[in-house]
Amino acid sequence: MKAYLSAFRMRRKMELQYRGAVLGGVICQVFFGLILVAIYRAMYAGKPQEIPLSHITSYVWLQQAFFRMLLASDPELMDKIRTGSIAYDLCRPLDLYGFYYVRIMAQKMTGSLLRAVPMLVIAFLLPEGWGLMLPASPTGFVWSLAGLFLGLLCVSALENITMGFTMRTLDFRGMQALLNLLMMILSGNILPLTLFPDSWQRVITLLPYAQLLDAPIRLYTGDTPSSAVPGILLIQFFWILLLTGAGILFWRANQKRLEIQGG
Amino acid sequence: MSYICVRELEKRFVIREKRKKGALLREKKTVRALQKVSFDVEQGELLGYIGPNGAGKSTTVKILSGILTPDGGEVTVGGRVPWQERREHVRQIGVVFGQRTQLWWDVPIRDSYDLLRDIYRISPEDYRTRLSELTEALQLGDLMRTPLRQLSLGQRMRAELCGSLLHRPELLFLDEPTIGLDAVSKLALREFLQWENKRQGTTILLTTHDMEDIVALCPRVMVLGHGRKLFDGSLAALLGRYDTVRTVTVSYEEAEAVPELPSAIPVIREGKNLMITYCPDEYATAELIARLQAAGTVRELTVQPQNVDRLVAAMYREMDL
Amino acid sequence: MDTIRLYLHSMRMLIRSQLQYPVSFFMQTLAQLVMEGGEMMAVILLVDRFEHLNQWGAGDLYFFFGLMSVTFYLTECFGRGITGNFPYLVRTGQLDTFLVRPRGVLTQAMCSAVDPRRITCIAVGVVALIIGSRLAAIEWTAVKVLLMAEAILCGSILILGLFMIEAIFSIYSVKSIELVNALTYGGRSACEYPIDTFPRPLRVLFTVLAPFALTLHVPGAWILGKPLFGWPEWAVWVSPVSGIVFFWVIWICFQKAMKHYRSTGS
Repeated sequence: MKAYLSAFRMRRKMELQYRGAVLGGVICQVFFGLILVAIYRAMYAGKPQEIPLSHITSYVWLQQAFFRMLLASDPELMDKIRTGSIAYDLCRPLDLYGFYYVRIMAQKMTGSLLRAVPMLVIAFLLPEGWGLMLPASPTGFVWSLAGLFLGLLCVSALENITMGFTMRTLDFRGMQALLNLLMMILSGNILPLTLFPDSWQRVITLLPYAQLLDAPIRLYTGDTPSSAVPGILLIQFFWILLLTGAGILFWRANQKRLEIQGG
Repeated sequence: MSYICVRELEKRFVIREKRKKGALLREKKTVRALQKVSFDVEQGELLGYIGPNGAGKSTTVKILSGILTPDGGEVTVGGRVPWQERREHVRQIGVVFGQRTQLWWDVPIRDSYDLLRDIYRISPEDYRTRLSELTEALQLGDLMRTPLRQLSLGQRMRAELCGSLLHRPELLFLDEPTIGLDAVSKLALREFLQWENKRQGTTILLTTHDMEDIVALCPRVMVLGHGRKLFDGSLAALLGRYDTVRTVTVSYEEAEAVPELPSAIPVIREGKNLMITYCPDEYATAELIARLQAAGTVRELTVQPQNVDRLVAAMYREMDL
Repeated sequence: MDTIRLYLHSMRMLIRSQLQYPVSFFMQTLAQLVMEGGEMMAVILLVDRFEHLNQWGAGDLYFFFGLMSVTFYLTECFGRGITGNFPYLVRTGQLDTFLVRPRGVLTQAMCSAVDPRRITCIAVGVVALIIGSRLAAIEWTAVKVLLMAEAILCGSILILGLFMIEAIFSIYSVKSIELVNALTYGGRSACEYPIDTFPRPLRVLFTVLAPFALTLHVPGAWILGKPLFGWPEWAVWVSPVSGIVFFWVIWICFQKAMKHYRSTGS
């Protein structure tokens, strides 16, 4: 357990070092957010929808604020693979799956929290019809936090499997890029899932990609009423168990293979 | 006017040091990389350029090749100011960096040469002639289809040389070309450079840490230290003036050979091999060798000068820097 | 011109070396295709739900999207050398190698990287143009085709200028590249939609500072036979030139940056 915590803390330290980049990143994301909101506002002006505009703008801001959580990017890993020092990792007497799981989670959390807070503050301060709305209800808010955490577990498990593929094929760009863009499309980053056709939404919201941000955001805005919470939690737990299980099996197989090969 | 004319060359660099605790800004330090360096080089010379790290060798090469602009002084190469007429100047020079490559990594070296032909606008006939000439001289025939990344260090250096000489430059800069090479490759490289210098009349400026390169190739040596020119003349003069310590290694047939030497001279023995460090000023080389030969049947005997850093340190001591 | 020949030669070699890793190449191409497909899908879904944006109908929106896609990815295909690849060139000292050759630094930088995978994105853009053209019932004339070519060309040059800012930043070791990315990629995402979608500050930004609106939207609107955002008719041929002007300004800054590089070394 201690090993995990120290890995966590180390990751956090490294992320905090990129302080300078954070400010630039926040400005960047806010800019993107404004553009997206402007587009949706213009669209809504022509044909108002069932879902209130404020839900959509909130969706946009929450997506932008937690954008970092979506992406799989470990620049260190790329260098490690390129130079071959990945072998050191593989030799460590740690449970590799757990090690990378914690590492991925730490990366996502520290990377996004640092940027999310200033972004959300700015989003709150925006004028009416542009910014982030208050949560639909206190319980909704609490459930959205739970949903966010579970979604994080879910996507970390997903990414861990991809990491396993990366180790195996030593091709860090291909699989991760594919995962990233699947995430971006199917988690509602490019277009809020609430604006997808209803029939599509029924399927997409069941996928693991939607669990990280779409599920908690809907709980926040009230698009998903509190009564539907058990269903959501069920889906999230299902994916967490499935992906974690699959991941562990995959890594075990990987490790055996590498041991046979001799690294 | 000489081919290369350097007068009072100056170059300063400002580096930011690590932030000290409690300080708001990083401290700036000015490094005087070159301080009023002057020299001339005629066409066809083979010049060795030595000095410890940070002495200003790379800076000089960069300025002479037109990459860097100096802070003071004048330079002309072939009548041109390198950094002012970059493209025309650069057409006449070739550069080989020991650590870096100018060829493409993943493609067969032949393809790299084809691209260089386009970059330098070499005519097809001239290219064909020159390439076959260099291929033969550098023995690259079998390697033409091999990508650079699959070549050994020695092979890579030969490939680099070929690439840098394709366009028949008048002037060739070599920055530590023998670094990391095995003995055979080093010899081959030196032979080639001599051939190129004699046959093509290419002026060659060789920067190196390896005294053997100098000994083998350069009739003229320039020594830089702390941005200043410390010596410019023949190798013999350099060794004569500053080379104060010699090392003799001798190998005997008999294991019990014990030469008669003053006790002040340190002798390191390893079985049949002895290593003796001495000062030729204090003890004549001829005398020492005579004594060593008297002690037993000599299988092998070599006399080596000291390395560059010690040489330059000795030079500093003399100039009281 | 032999510069073009050099570029084509470099391109052939780069593609050959990229194809040495076919699986990775294929995966990345696929990823980019899906990415751009996703963007287009977003436009399709939005159009499906909202039917129109201000006075712009479905066909108009596809057309604008296609225009931006083709322009942007055309530039990304050929211009990687001065954006993504440039920091690497500075870091590894490859820039010095360029300076030792009798060619321009920009030329060599552009020859150093080509991204043929973007062809898929350009294809998506072309599809969008065709669909948009059909739905908006554009009556094509030689003049309109010429204008579109001018718009795409000038738009490419504009984007190339934006890319060059990253090169300039890497010479000066400026870390805040994200701000420029906001302008470049934000501009792309925004100006997939006609400029009147946006509030005044953004409109001014993309008309005056990074003139996407002038290079793409004004000609685009004219081709669609729609009002020109308040610009007079003759401006249609002139406004794309703003892209060239922008590039020229950045180019001057790049020359300055190179002067700085050559006086301070690497």
